[in-house]
Amino acid sequence: MAGITGVDFRLSRGELALVHVEEGREQTPLADLATGLMIPDHGQVLFMGEDWLQMSARRQAEQRGRTRRVFQHYGWVANLDVVENLCLCEGHHTRRKFADIASEAHLLARRFGLDGIPSGRPTRVHSLILRKLEWVRAFMGTADLLILERPLLGAPRGDMGRLVEAVCEARQEGAAVLWITDEDRDWECGQMGKSARFQIKGEAFCPA
Amino acid sequence: MGERYFPCMQFVSVLGSGVIQGYNRLRYLLSILWSVLSLGLLPDSWRRTTRSVLARQILFTGVDAVGFVVLVAFLAGISIVVQAQVWMSRLGQLELLGPLLVTVVAREVGPLLVNFIVIGRSATATAAELAGMRVRHEVNVLDAQGVDPLLYLVMPRALGMAICVLCLTVLFVLVSFATGYVCGALLGTGPQDPAIFSRSVIRGFAPGDFLNLLAKTIFPGLMTSIIACVEGLSVEGVATDIPQAVTRTVVRSTLSLLVISVIVSVLTYV
Repeated sequence: MAGITGVDFRLSRGELALVHVEEGREQTPLADLATGLMIPDHGQVLFMGEDWLQMSARRQAEQRGRTRRVFQHYGWVANLDVVENLCLCEGHHTRRKFADIASEAHLLARRFGLDGIPSGRPTRVHSLILRKLEWVRAFMGTADLLILERPLLGAPRGDMGRLVEAVCEARQEGAAVLWITDEDRDWECGQMGKSARFQIKGEAFCPA
Repeated sequence: MGERYFPCMQFVSVLGSGVIQGYNRLRYLLSILWSVLSLGLLPDSWRRTTRSVLARQILFTGVDAVGFVVLVAFLAGISIVVQAQVWMSRLGQLELLGPLLVTVVAREVGPLLVNFIVIGRSATATAAELAGMRVRHEVNVLDAQGVDPLLYLVMPRALGMAICVLCLTVLFVLVSFATGYVCGALLGTGPQDPAIFSRSVIRGFAPGDFLNLLAKTIFPGLMTSIIACVEGLSVEGVATDIPQAVTRTVVRSTLSLLVISVIVSVLTYV
C-alpha cells in the first residue's frame, strides 16, 4: 500500500469528503487510517473527538462498530453465508432482533436493484452482485462514518444514482461520508451536494 | 584451544537462543490464554455473534466427532479392559481391576487419545481456516467492522474446544468401560455381573481422578486451540504458508499435550 503525506482535514456530521486518487493507483491507507486500523507515522487521527491510539482495544472495536465501509477489494468472510456477512456488524454491536436486521438487508437489496439476498457463501455470488451487497451492508443500521472505497468499481453506470441517493439520506441522518474514487463520474456527479474535495497525487494529499 | 572452544560456544549459543525463543513463545501463548479466560468471564463478551461461533465450534469439534470417538473407545475398551481383566484374574487380583482401569483408561489413555483426535480433526482445521482468513484479508474485514478477532475468532474456539475435549473424554471412558465389560463377559474373562464390574470401577475412582481428568482435558484443549489460532493467524498473506501453519499446529499442540499430561500425572502421584 503506497503511503500518503499531508493529510489534514476534519469531517463533521453530515459532511462529505470526496477524495480523488489517480486511476490505477493501488489502495490508499486513508480508510484504514480513518478507522484506526493503521497508525500514522506522524500526527494523530481522531474519531468522535478521541484519538484512536489512546483507545483500548475494546473501545476501538466499539467505535469501529459505528463506522460502515465499502471495501475496495473483496470484503467478505468466506465461511459465513452472505446474509450472515450482511448482518454481522449490526448483530455484533446492537441488540436488534436478527429478523429485523435481515429484513432491513432485504429492503436495502431491493432498493439497490437486487431481487433479494443470495443464499450460500459469498464466493458463489457474482462480483457485481457482491458489490451491490457491499452497499447494502454499508447502509445498514445507523453509522457515524461511512467510508466508500471506490464503491462503483465494477458496478453499472446506471446504479450510481441509487448509491448517491442513499449517501445523501445517510448524510441527512448525521453520517459523515468519506468517498474515495478514481473515477471521473463520481467526481463530476452533481447530485452529491456540498462536499469537501481532495486529491492524492503521488504521495501528496491536497485540496482539489 | 580456540578452535575447540568455538564449536562448544556455538552449541551453547544455539541452545540458549532456542531456549529463549521457546520461553518467549510459551509466554506469548500463556498471555493469549489469560486474555481468552479473562474475556470469557465478561458477560459483554458473549454477544450473539460470539455465541454462534462457540456453538459451531462445539458442533464441529464435539458433536461431529462423537461417532469416531465412540469407535476408538470401543476398540480401546476391547484391547485394554479385556486384557486388564485377563491379567488381573490370572494374578488373582480382580479386586484391583477397578483402580487399574481408572488409572489406565480414565487417567491416561482416554484424555491422551481424545486430545490426539481433537488435534487431528479440529486443531488442524482451525489453523487452516484462520490461515485462509488471513490470506484472504478477512481478519481485516472483521476488524474494520469492529469485530475483535480475539473475541470473535479465538475465544469461542478455545473455550469450545476445551469443553469438547472434556465431554468427549467422559464419553470415551464410559464407552470403553462398557465395551470392556461386555467383551469380558462374553469371552468369560471378566465378571458376568455388571454390578460387580461397576462397583469395582466406581471404587477405583478417587476425588483426585476427577481433578486429573479435568486438568488433562481442559488445559490441553485450551492450549491446542490457542496454538491452532495463533499459528493460523500468524500467516502473512501467502497461501503456501497455510500447510506449514497446520504442521506447526500439530507439532506444537502434541508437544504441549504431552508436557501438560506429564506434569499433571507427576502432580497426581506426588
